[in-house]
Amino acid sequence: MKAVYIIMMLIILPLYLFKNSSMYKYLLMFLFAMSMLSCGTDTDAGEFVVGSDYLAVTNKVILIDTVTVEMSTINFDSLVTSGQSRILIGNYDDPVFGKVKSESYFQLAVDNYTLPSEGSDTNAPNYVFDSISMILKYDHYYYGDTTKVQTFNIHRITQKVKPNTDDNSFYNNSVLNYSSEVLGSVSYKPRPKEKDSINIKMNAAFGEALFLKFKSREISDFETFSEYLKGLVLVPSTSNSSSVIGFNLTSKVRLYYSKYLADTETSLIKDFTISEASKQFNSISLGKTGTLIQNLPLSNSNLSSSLTSRQGFIQSGTGVACRIDFPGIKQLKNISDKGAIVDAELILRPVNNSYSEMLPLADSLQIYVADKLNRISGTLLNSAGSSVYGVLNKKSDEFNENIGYSVSVGSFLQKEMLRKTDSQSALILTLPGISKSVDRIILGDQKHPNNKIQLKIYYISY
Amino acid sequence: MKNLFTFLSCMILMTINSFSQSISSSPYSLYGLGSVYDSDFGSIPSIGSSGIALPSGSYINNLNPASLGYIPQNHFMFDLGGKAILTTFQSNSKSEKRNNFQFSHIAFAFPVTKNSGFSISLHPYSSASFKISNLKLPVENSAENYTLDAIGTGGLNKFDFSYGYRINKKLSLGVSGSVLFGNTTDDRSYTVEKSVTAISKQTDYNGFRGTVGLQYKIDSTFTIASTFKLPALVNASKVQSVQTVADEVVTTIESDVASDTDDYYMPLEIGFGISKRFKNNINLTFDYEKSFWSNTNQSELYGEFVNQDRFALGFIFKSKNNNRSYWDRIQYGTGLNFDTGYLEVDGKRINNSAISLGVSLPLENTFSTLNVSYSYGQKGKIGGGLIKENYHKLSLNLSLDGIWFVKRKIE
Repeated sequence: MKAVYIIMMLIILPLYLFKNSSMYKYLLMFLFAMSMLSCGTDTDAGEFVVGSDYLAVTNKVILIDTVTVEMSTINFDSLVTSGQSRILIGNYDDPVFGKVKSESYFQLAVDNYTLPSEGSDTNAPNYVFDSISMILKYDHYYYGDTTKVQTFNIHRITQKVKPNTDDNSFYNNSVLNYSSEVLGSVSYKPRPKEKDSINIKMNAAFGEALFLKFKSREISDFETFSEYLKGLVLVPSTSNSSSVIGFNLTSKVRLYYSKYLADTETSLIKDFTISEASKQFNSISLGKTGTLIQNLPLSNSNLSSSLTSRQGFIQSGTGVACRIDFPGIKQLKNISDKGAIVDAELILRPVNNSYSEMLPLADSLQIYVADKLNRISGTLLNSAGSSVYGVLNKKSDEFNENIGYSVSVGSFLQKEMLRKTDSQSALILTLPGISKSVDRIILGDQKHPNNKIQLKIYYISY
Repeated sequence: MKNLFTFLSCMILMTINSFSQSISSSPYSLYGLGSVYDSDFGSIPSIGSSGIALPSGSYINNLNPASLGYIPQNHFMFDLGGKAILTTFQSNSKSEKRNNFQFSHIAFAFPVTKNSGFSISLHPYSSASFKISNLKLPVENSAENYTLDAIGTGGLNKFDFSYGYRINKKLSLGVSGSVLFGNTTDDRSYTVEKSVTAISKQTDYNGFRGTVGLQYKIDSTFTIASTFKLPALVNASKVQSVQTVADEVVTTIESDVASDTDDYYMPLEIGFGISKRFKNNINLTFDYEKSFWSNTNQSELYGEFVNQDRFALGFIFKSKNNNRSYWDRIQYGTGLNFDTGYLEVDGKRINNSAISLGVSLPLENTFSTLNVSYSYGQKGKIGGGLIKENYHKLSLNLSLDGIWFVKRKIE
């Protein structure tokens, strides 16, 4: 602004001084010509640059890839498995994690607790039990070797399907008592992709008894029904199973019976369905004795990757999760007077040969932020406030070096770097469907010989 | 009268606007306080910008304050200049032409006593206009690249107060004080991976610099002269904002944070000049100036500075037939200028050389002239990471000469 006043003064002064002079017209002409011409200045397209090194003097852009990343494995003590709308059944021996097993409990209900009553008292129909089956509908989830025969049995639950906890939920470690009597059994090769459902013939005596309760009207409503048949549980046979299969909640028990009236015979069915998703849960267990993670501590502490062959572990269903710490992040403040992390990428690489077609990699990782006691405060958010996932790069090469999950952690690390208090947040990695599947993954830590975790931080000094 | 007033106001506004507009943009403007801008008065542009030993006789000599001792009594002088520059920028791979028009100076001078004079002037000192688009630069400590976009604007102005005193028939001394002021803005955007970081800073500068000059007449045709521009400090303070855009969300890292930044140092500059008249119609001028930039220990923020040598040679021709016809009254000038530059970019100096010629056209039957000068010059070179600038420069200086007290007598 200062310059403007001076110019004004210096232009007005001669205009005034030369007011009566013959030079006045030249002065006006000159000023006018200059004003006009000065509009013709071209703009710069910015294609000519000298001294690239000099451009980095004021603001440096640096890649930092030497920050320590610590990996460990933790174990969530319980996952809610009720209300997940999946009957997860099966077991398999994982070469790394141990013996994985899922049993599924559910309560049944029926639309109508009476048999159809037609005709008159004198000409009442006669109902006769035919058979009973369980129809399980694939929900297309599977894990393990589906070319092998899977066997499981149906048992009757002997206690009321009711959670022990206040929150009305069943957990992956919940169990209910059931009778040892097998009400049905199946050995089959699961074809979750090709087929819709499997059909299991159930014990006729069980069906007959159930039918008689209806016929005698001892069962007349849900109350009396659930008192008689508290629920069923599907228990995999540990001797003969190599996969875990998911079925959806339109699965049912179907009772076939016939109606005789006059000389006509009519076939009828009665469907017992899972009416409440909250009364269905999977009990998922992991027998990890003898594995690398057999000493997995309680949920508030962790097992360092230095004790597990430089690896971190994640398994859905059983609550095994991988924790990532950045102990040196605050030291980045010392790189320059002022600096910011503008972007950062964490690349997590699954350990070679730990996955296969039968034990596939999930397409993404779910990332949570937690404190030092593994208490989760929420999912990892980007600067826009939406959740950040680890995205699988499937481009494979000869040594599978490019296979990895990439997580954008710039915004998280910038906050961690600037954090005033001593506490630090860590990331906890799980797989999608943590409460209703048994997918698992093994990741390499920073010192893993082949599949190192990598952190690339882009830093600008300003 | 009212219309004239409106017209004048508009024009003044337009003039101010074009004066304060960003001046020539050059890739070299990235360094220092920008590209230093030459704005010589009168017919000096036509004689290779030489003339430390010339008097302020028919126009104001901005090269030496001692010249103000020679302002004719009862005269006052006004100098207004503008330039049209056509520059071709050339690198190994491409070339581009750009036109540029701008005001170069406004100056006013008058005698104080019969052997002393005073002048004030305002001119742009430097232009920090540059633009960088889509430049790939290496991320330090990696094989990756980031993209830089940058726009620089602004520059410094110089406001001079000069006083010259003729001690006797041979020796004249002068002092001048220059106030340097202005600001530059530098907006850079760094595209690193998926983020874009914008760093905008405005740096304000102000400083004061003194110059002393002398002119000594050995005889009526031969003058020697010298100038000493003293080292000076230009204070710099900056206001900076930093923002990062990631996931389409803007995060402000700092906003308008004021801080001190490295000050700029002007060096000691010593100039020598001679002026010799031959055959009463040819005048030779030669100047040499050395600028001791190396001693300033300039912050690396401004670039790499080296000592600078400047040579200027000029000839002025005038008809021997004094004041007979208009054509005889036209004065011709030509000159050469060579300058080693004070910058070293990637270890290479940025030289500048120019050849010039021009005419001084008298306006009617007065001492006022319109000076038209053309010069062709080259700056920098192609290759080694440098850019060559070829420029055609047309300078128009209006040098008005008024008579102070005579008019009163006519009234």
